[in-house]
Amino acid sequence: MKLVFITPRFLPEGVVGGAETLIRDLALTSVQAGHEVHLLTTCAIDHFTWSNEREPGEETVDGIQVHYFRVNEDRNIEVFLRIQDQIDKERPVSREDQQRWAENNVCSRDLSDWLRKEGGSFDAILVGPYLFGITLESAKIFSEKTWLIPCLHDEAFARLDIVADMFHASKGSLFNSEPEKALAIRLYDLNHDCGQVVGMAMEPFDVDKEAFAKKHQLDTPYVLYCGRQEGGKNTPLLLDYMHSYVERRQGAVKLVLTGSGDVPVPEKLRPFLLNLGFVSEQEKHEAMAGAVAFIHPSTNESFGIVLLEAWLAGTPALVHDRGEVLRWQCERAEAGLWFRYYPEFEAMLDRLIEDEKLNTTLGENGKQYVLCTYERAAIAERLFAVLKG
Amino acid sequence: MTLEAEHMEISLNAGDLDVASLVKEIRDEVSKKRQEGVYTDARIGRAERHNLMYMADSEELLRFYLNCLRDGVHVDINDYQIEDRRTGWKGKGLVKMKTVIWKLLKFYTFRMWHQQNQINGLMVTAIESSFQQYEKKIASLEERLAKLEGDSAK
Repeated sequence: MKLVFITPRFLPEGVVGGAETLIRDLALTSVQAGHEVHLLTTCAIDHFTWSNEREPGEETVDGIQVHYFRVNEDRNIEVFLRIQDQIDKERPVSREDQQRWAENNVCSRDLSDWLRKEGGSFDAILVGPYLFGITLESAKIFSEKTWLIPCLHDEAFARLDIVADMFHASKGSLFNSEPEKALAIRLYDLNHDCGQVVGMAMEPFDVDKEAFAKKHQLDTPYVLYCGRQEGGKNTPLLLDYMHSYVERRQGAVKLVLTGSGDVPVPEKLRPFLLNLGFVSEQEKHEAMAGAVAFIHPSTNESFGIVLLEAWLAGTPALVHDRGEVLRWQCERAEAGLWFRYYPEFEAMLDRLIEDEKLNTTLGENGKQYVLCTYERAAIAERLFAVLKG
Repeated sequence: MTLEAEHMEISLNAGDLDVASLVKEIRDEVSKKRQEGVYTDARIGRAERHNLMYMADSEELLRFYLNCLRDGVHVDINDYQIEDRRTGWKGKGLVKMKTVIWKLLKFYTFRMWHQQNQINGLMVTAIESSFQQYEKKIASLEERLAKLEGDSAK
């Protein structure tokens, strides 16, 4: 097959957002399955400024033919932000304003022109994630052979008419989990055959379990969270819970954070917190392997890449009951527990720290689940079963 | 565990563990402990401030949160043991200085905190009373509805 993937950012050597990582991985899976794969993206690197930091052009990365296009520099950011603010506050926004929001979002006329000219020769066009202008615009060009990789969240943007139109017009969607598919069906009144759950390949790794604790001289057990530190990921709740936990348990455990962001840390938690910011993949995996539990309190995920990585490291998970996708993963894998409020969090964390056998069994279950479900061959099988119909 | 995905069937879980049952077991234990007052702690009420938006539809959490609020509602304006981590004459001097500062602070702010405590107490009582009244009203409406449904079935 001849495939084209479209995503807002692509860094040949670095790490970008979860959805972009997922799309790159699906492109890689397609290359390894022997297909011709192109990937269209922008010249932007920073997801705040979206300025064109690299030159437009083409290069081949891991067998993927990557095409870089400039983001429209005449986008009216003022209009975009004004409408975005209305959407974010869940105020009624007319269809015209929704369209203006999309046009002034991250769009690329050069990319759309290329797709109009060359898109006819491709067997399938795969675009995502759902809320970028580049996705909304590209999906319209050859909608009859466009598959969405939406990475859908239950948020105000998902309830826009123009997003619903995109779901209805496209050929179908590749979802990351059953709850994500159920959300799309509920929001857009779609049929059950609107798409399939595919996910992305997870590569196994082997690291020293002791290395992280030795490097950072940690002499007590620690729990870990990796990812953006912000309200949207529920990090303030994790900090509040750990604050109460270390006070009530007299500091029996430390909290390790990796990833970007800046959330206020309670004063009394500071001695029990190790916030490393960005770390290498190797160090992240070592941190995961040595942790007593991986805590992911987010209630708005479509897949949960870091959760699956923690399971590959053999570490059990503790997630929020209202995080439908993460809870779904925990139930399917039999590899994690889910809490509703602090007393349950405390009791579950106590259990994971004290019951070594339970901890090992949960971690091992998680590892086996990821190795079986998200092996590259299994992903390729699911992906091409969908694309070949 | 048997995993039934779209295109495969895999047997997992060497330990025959059922996490849903384990979560239920832990929840039952927590519920029992809560009734025994193990979690009546202002630090827990404080920890839930970010959780209410996710669990706003949970009657159980609301009841629990009200209990936490009741426990932590009053600002503590009593004297407390003033200490300093430094030892020797420097430590003793600092303790004396902090004691004087605390007494002054208490003298000038006592009236304000006292009034604040009265307001906090009244507000929690009002919230609790509303909650209880609505609970009673809903229970009585449910009872009436069940009776009406029973009558129409006859």
